[in-house]
Amino acid sequence: MVFSSITYLFYFFAAFIILYFAVPFKLKNAVLLTFSLLFYAWGGVKYALLMVLAIFIGYTFGLLIEKFRQNKKITLFFMWFAVISIIAFMLYFKYTNFFIDNFNKLTGMSLAFLKITLPVGISFYTFQTISYVIDVYRGVPAQKNLIDLAAYVSMFPQLIAGPIVRYVDVAAELKERTHSIDRVAEGIRRFIIGLGKKILIADRLSQLGDLIKGMDEKTVLLYWIYGISVALYIYFDFSGYSDMAIGLGRMFGFKFLENFNYPYISKSATEFWRRWHMSLGSWFRDYVYIPLGGNRVSKLRHVFNIFVVWFLTGFWHGAAWNFIIWGLFFGVLLLIEKFFTLKYLEKSKVICHIYTLMAAILSFVIFNATDMKEGFAYIGGMFGAGGIPFVSAETLYYLHSYAVIFVLAIIGATPIVKNTAIKLSESKKLGKIVNILEPVLIIVIFLVSVSYLVDGSFSPFLYFRF
Amino acid sequence: MNTRIKNIVVCVSMAIILFSLTALCLFMPKEDFLEAERREPESFPDFTFENVMKDGVEYNDSFMSKFEKYAIDAFPFRDSFRTLKAIFANYVFCQKDNNDIYIADGQASKIEYPLKEDMIEYASQKFKYLYETYMKGKTDSIYLSIIPDKNYFIAEQNGYLALDYDRLNEMIVGSADFAEYIDIYDLLEIDDYYKTDTHWRQEAITQVAKKILEAMGSFVETDYKVNTLDHPFYGVYYGQAALPMKPDTIKYLTSDTLDSCIVTSYAKGVPMKTTVYDMKKAVGRDPYEMFLGGADPLIIIENPNAKNDKELVIFRDSFGSSISPLLVEGYSKVTLVDIRYMQSTMVGNYVNFENADVLFLYSTLILNTAKIFN
Repeated sequence: MVFSSITYLFYFFAAFIILYFAVPFKLKNAVLLTFSLLFYAWGGVKYALLMVLAIFIGYTFGLLIEKFRQNKKITLFFMWFAVISIIAFMLYFKYTNFFIDNFNKLTGMSLAFLKITLPVGISFYTFQTISYVIDVYRGVPAQKNLIDLAAYVSMFPQLIAGPIVRYVDVAAELKERTHSIDRVAEGIRRFIIGLGKKILIADRLSQLGDLIKGMDEKTVLLYWIYGISVALYIYFDFSGYSDMAIGLGRMFGFKFLENFNYPYISKSATEFWRRWHMSLGSWFRDYVYIPLGGNRVSKLRHVFNIFVVWFLTGFWHGAAWNFIIWGLFFGVLLLIEKFFTLKYLEKSKVICHIYTLMAAILSFVIFNATDMKEGFAYIGGMFGAGGIPFVSAETLYYLHSYAVIFVLAIIGATPIVKNTAIKLSESKKLGKIVNILEPVLIIVIFLVSVSYLVDGSFSPFLYFRF
Repeated sequence: MNTRIKNIVVCVSMAIILFSLTALCLFMPKEDFLEAERREPESFPDFTFENVMKDGVEYNDSFMSKFEKYAIDAFPFRDSFRTLKAIFANYVFCQKDNNDIYIADGQASKIEYPLKEDMIEYASQKFKYLYETYMKGKTDSIYLSIIPDKNYFIAEQNGYLALDYDRLNEMIVGSADFAEYIDIYDLLEIDDYYKTDTHWRQEAITQVAKKILEAMGSFVETDYKVNTLDHPFYGVYYGQAALPMKPDTIKYLTSDTLDSCIVTSYAKGVPMKTTVYDMKKAVGRDPYEMFLGGADPLIIIENPNAKNDKELVIFRDSFGSSISPLLVEGYSKVTLVDIRYMQSTMVGNYVNFENADVLFLYSTLILNTAKIFN
């Protein structure tokens, strides 16, 4: 199930709200768990059982680590056993056919592919479970209440597309959290802004991208429109989902950490990754990069550590070479910046932005490609490879038709709207008007988003496949 | 309004909207036909163990997948929400089209772009096959005419994408060397089409009929009576555009000859007597179907008032339904064949081409999607 669907909004969510707020606090986690399992099972009942297995592994080994905490060797064994078990089934479901495909290509053999469907959100809940087990190993008290731990791992607001919520960040709230009108209102606002970002911007840009992909005759300008629309689409899709997740969490008393902080205003790739998918970046930092030694090692080892992290970042996003290349592309950029260009980039005012945006656009063209061949063909097209014309009537038509959406998306990808709204609300004269307009705007965004859902068909999130 | 009150307003108003719509989703009677979209809605799926255990969205026939479609189709005030979306897309996002539908010069139309040369090639091959299989050696009176769709008149002028009509004509006419081409482009203008529908208006195409009949040497001066249907006509683009538009009015032409014609339909596989104008369908879901009863693989119109024994065979699409009655006067029998619904290999079992006039009459819309020809 996805948030941007009629089923979610008017059946699942409505029922959940009634039950969640109707029961006493001690039963709220049970209601949250029950609905989270239903939410997940909607995408495939048998895969819900897989998630339950991951929960049991995390729960059992968390308790075992806690019980044998004095014995370092045993706790280390338990920690590794749990982590490897969870990674094993992620590898099986997500990467088996990728390995078979590459093995076949390398050896010339033709091993049959397995009929495996990727369970939605497997990358998110497995990472959360792994972080829980490692955190317990590092000294965080294990969760003794199975329902509370299961509610954390399966929590539907962030279950299938993040952000990756650490157990330590919500442990206290699982035990005790407060609900108030102010928090619910804050959550509603955040959720509806995310819904609007997803349906009104991301889905429109995705539609344009699909249209362009289907065109027989492309132009240089069309390839650029594609590149920009893909970069904006991925941002609005993913950050929209994160907004919805954070908003839902807020409604139900949780405070999830932010996942995006206007990455497209960055002055370097390094800064971009401090602002993009922050929960994934910090996960790899804390559970891969630092354990590998981080930067407190030899230069060569440091470079190796960075490549490992970026290889895994790319591979985490999908079992295909274009994701790996996408990750390594950023790894190389970050290394070049770290050792050579960062100090110059930080001094410039314009070039740094152009450079960062170019890097982001090119990287997302690779990211969104069905394979590397297509990715390189599209990048080639952006620079006129093949002697294609610069512009055509068709290109101008779609540029015209999507111009307003592009402008809104570009403005929305910067803090301009947020900062303006804050300034206006602080103004004595305009503050009152803003306060009146805000609920109206929220309702309008919601109803228009629903109208797009009613008119359109099912629109799954991009990050479902990760 | 202070922040506290604002927050209460947000919570209360959203709760009212959410729970009201949820209640309507659950309890409002469901439509059994979506008039604006001319289709049946997805029905509530069977709640069986087998359907539920299928992988949600991965399988189109799983309970979850079907329920998603059902929930959208059964959503309360569906048409109003679709209109809201269309207004937003058109006037806020300033998008040129909404689901490929646009309104220009008061006319709703659907973008047909680009020219699919493989489709045109396919249509040409199909026509050639029909000629060589059934007509060669039996008749030399073979004609071809192409009906421009509405985009020909309004798309390019209003900044919309349009087919390369010259290329389309060149390909079709160039390959049909067995047929005489009758050019009707110059006789048509945008007002000859319904504003909310794809089709042309029968009362506006008498000159087209005259030119075709003259080219075939069968023109007979006829006085038609113009009748107006007392039922609003919301064409196919009305529902797709979802924008506020005034309905069209259907006018249809009658004459003594048309009143006495005997019409036989093969829509149900067996011959059934019907009429030139089906007045039941005139008040049905698609009033344009009143012209010869709508989609039909084979229709035979016999004219007892004919002053000769000439026969006409028309290979046609839905545009042919409204013009064919205007071609009847000069013939004793007119046979309409729609190879979208009849196998080309079967045509010979039903139609006699011996010394008959044959007219290939197709709209550019159908030619550009010719793979639907059987």
